[in-house]
Amino acid sequence: MKQKPPVWLIGAAGVALVLFLWGAVQLAIVGDRKLAFRSPMATTAEPSMPHDQALVDQAEARHQEEQNRPYEEAEYRKFPVVGSRVAVWVVAQLHLLFAAFVLAVPIFAFIIELIGAVTGDKRYDALAYEFVKLLSASFSFTAALGAGLTFLLIALYPKFTNYLMSVFSPTFLPYVLLFFAEAGFLYTYSYGWGKLPRWLHLSLGFMLNVVGTGIMFIANAWLTFMSTPAGVNEKGALISTWEAVHNYTWMPINVHRMIANVAYGGSIAAAYAAYQFLKAKTDEERAHYDWMGYIGNFVAIAGLLPLPFAGYWLAKEIYAFSQTMGLTMMGGAFSWLFIIQAVLIGNLFLFANWYLWLGMGRISGAERFRPAIKYLLIVITLCFGVWATPRSIMSTVEEVQAMGGGTHPILGYLGVMSAKNTAVNILILTTYISFLLYRRSGRRPVVSWARQGNMAQFAIFALAAATVIFFGIYGYFVDASTRIGFSVPQVGSVLGAMILVTILDIFLLRGAETTETRWGKIHPLSQYLLIMLAVTFTWTMGLMGYVRSGLRQHWHVYGVLRDTSVDAFTPTLGFATKVVSVTVLIFFLLIGFIFFLASLSGKKHDEEAS
Amino acid sequence: MKIPVTLQLAALAVAMTSFYMMVGQAVPQKEVQPPEVIDLPEDLTTDQMVAIGKTIFEGKGICVTCHTIGKSGALRFPDLAGVAERAKTRIPGYTALDYFAETLYEPNKYVVAGFNPGMPTINKPPVGLTDQEILAVIAYLESLGGTPTVTMDTKHAYNGGTLGGGGGVDAAPAAEAPAVGD
Repeated sequence: MKQKPPVWLIGAAGVALVLFLWGAVQLAIVGDRKLAFRSPMATTAEPSMPHDQALVDQAEARHQEEQNRPYEEAEYRKFPVVGSRVAVWVVAQLHLLFAAFVLAVPIFAFIIELIGAVTGDKRYDALAYEFVKLLSASFSFTAALGAGLTFLLIALYPKFTNYLMSVFSPTFLPYVLLFFAEAGFLYTYSYGWGKLPRWLHLSLGFMLNVVGTGIMFIANAWLTFMSTPAGVNEKGALISTWEAVHNYTWMPINVHRMIANVAYGGSIAAAYAAYQFLKAKTDEERAHYDWMGYIGNFVAIAGLLPLPFAGYWLAKEIYAFSQTMGLTMMGGAFSWLFIIQAVLIGNLFLFANWYLWLGMGRISGAERFRPAIKYLLIVITLCFGVWATPRSIMSTVEEVQAMGGGTHPILGYLGVMSAKNTAVNILILTTYISFLLYRRSGRRPVVSWARQGNMAQFAIFALAAATVIFFGIYGYFVDASTRIGFSVPQVGSVLGAMILVTILDIFLLRGAETTETRWGKIHPLSQYLLIMLAVTFTWTMGLMGYVRSGLRQHWHVYGVLRDTSVDAFTPTLGFATKVVSVTVLIFFLLIGFIFFLASLSGKKHDEEAS
Repeated sequence: MKIPVTLQLAALAVAMTSFYMMVGQAVPQKEVQPPEVIDLPEDLTTDQMVAIGKTIFEGKGICVTCHTIGKSGALRFPDLAGVAERAKTRIPGYTALDYFAETLYEPNKYVVAGFNPGMPTINKPPVGLTDQEILAVIAYLESLGGTPTVTMDTKHAYNGGTLGGGGGVDAAPAAEAPAVGD
């Protein structure tokens, strides 16, 4: 039966209507007074009071001023409440996080699909499609945030944006065309899954990656030019667009971002799998998402391991461009930022290793490696400790006197690059050993030279570790220019060891005895670790985005276009980390929504099928 | 009561982010302001120039980012304690003024043995000190182990003067002189 509305509701609606009408009348009266000089009534009638005359005069004066005002180009405009810098900062970082994800997922989706096509294993195909399901909504978010960033820059920093346009306008058309191509390839790749011939679908996936990489390279040219400008004269006038593109840090950033995107995309995809695993109702679902999480994490670690080396190259190019900028980064205002980074990277390695160790629980035969884990943990903790030890600390006069200087007499030695390079290389080597043990858990080599092969692998590891430690200690006894060169044999020995051991392992495990991997039978803590990895990756990207941009200090384009806005100062690290944190939380809110959308897709189909 | 997975994960993300933010609050906090315009009246005494030069050296000139005063060991750039004394003899034919001027205006023309080139040109962006500010910095450098002599009217090879113009030492012509640095 239809219910009548309650009396109080009718009364409230009546009162609201009366108030609305009264408000509208008041608004009309006020508006009429303000526009009195235009109103026919006001223009015909003589002002009766001095106050009215004053209003008319003021309006006249304002009108005259508006008519005579010359056109002036604004340098800056203010964004309400948070200010222009924070607004651009947050939107740019969100755009970058989504872009990283959108660029990374197609890389490993394509590789996984290719593996599926080559092996004929349908699971890979299903997994690749599951990854791609996350892309459509993410792509729209990336584009929307990119448009938002562009409008913010035009509106809030018009002079700077004009300058960038004057240098990079030839790159805009290719960028737009590539963007259209990206959209075309992405949606065809996504919606054409299972409907197109395999070779055509794989070709689309390949082209999607080529075009995506092209887009990133162009955008990287704009932002690296801001930090390490080239191709312009001292007054900022353009000499060569290509030189402006091909500046000192362009290629190192391209490589660094490509690797970091893969690591990051893997971690976000693994977080999605963890979310689905924890929500799963059946063993089958758990097995699927456990496997997906494992693959995502594998991709993330595979990207994480070479990342510090790409970081070295980037830092080297920054020093090559400007020693001052390099020293500001590592020894000046930003030096403490790298202590925060050490905590983040240490956590990334710790969580990644922990996940692998927990993963051994799902493999029969992994028990034999369990005793090794505690030693690996000790090494990782020690390396983490060294990396996070600052060279100097804020101290009172008494503390400085007690220490005999600004640095601690013992711990101070761990704060220099010799110690840190050693720590990070050993950390990478240890993580690789964890991965190798995981890989070996379900397999036992049967080749005749298995014992010698194992010993050779052990010897390679020992030699690499000894090389890293030797140069780490020797670095304390040589001058700066020699010491910097030591990072090459350190990095080389670790990379070489990883490549050699992997090759040996492939041959060692040919025809190996395998045991069952019980997908889905893993401790739930592992899934929370995947989430923690994703949060830490995102936070690290936010922090490193800040240092890359912050290094310019009071310059929009370093040494060329100075920042004269109210935000020209470099904020404290405390403030920066607050902005990074808020950005990370907004990102997870948005990516959570995308996860939700992805989980909806196919639901209707499933319901109908059931 | 079982907490929904979405809520658990949201709480975990907030907790992790908060932890990292707290780490960010725990490190020393320093807000770096852009360099201010320094007013240098023409009637400054040499002592006043030394004081202002020290301020520029530690601030706008960002010299302390690389250089130390009174440190030894494996340094990345030359320590400047007693540099005024070394500047007189670093290159035959150069006065301390010539040496300091060249090292600031053309820093990579000569590099002290054992160090790599890398010092920025001080009168150009991003540092961009004016000729007057550079004179004040030279006054300060002359005070590190010596007696400063420059005034606001001092001329050297980079502000309209010649080599040997300000130091009272007969200098060799620039073309014949070896390159300078530090």
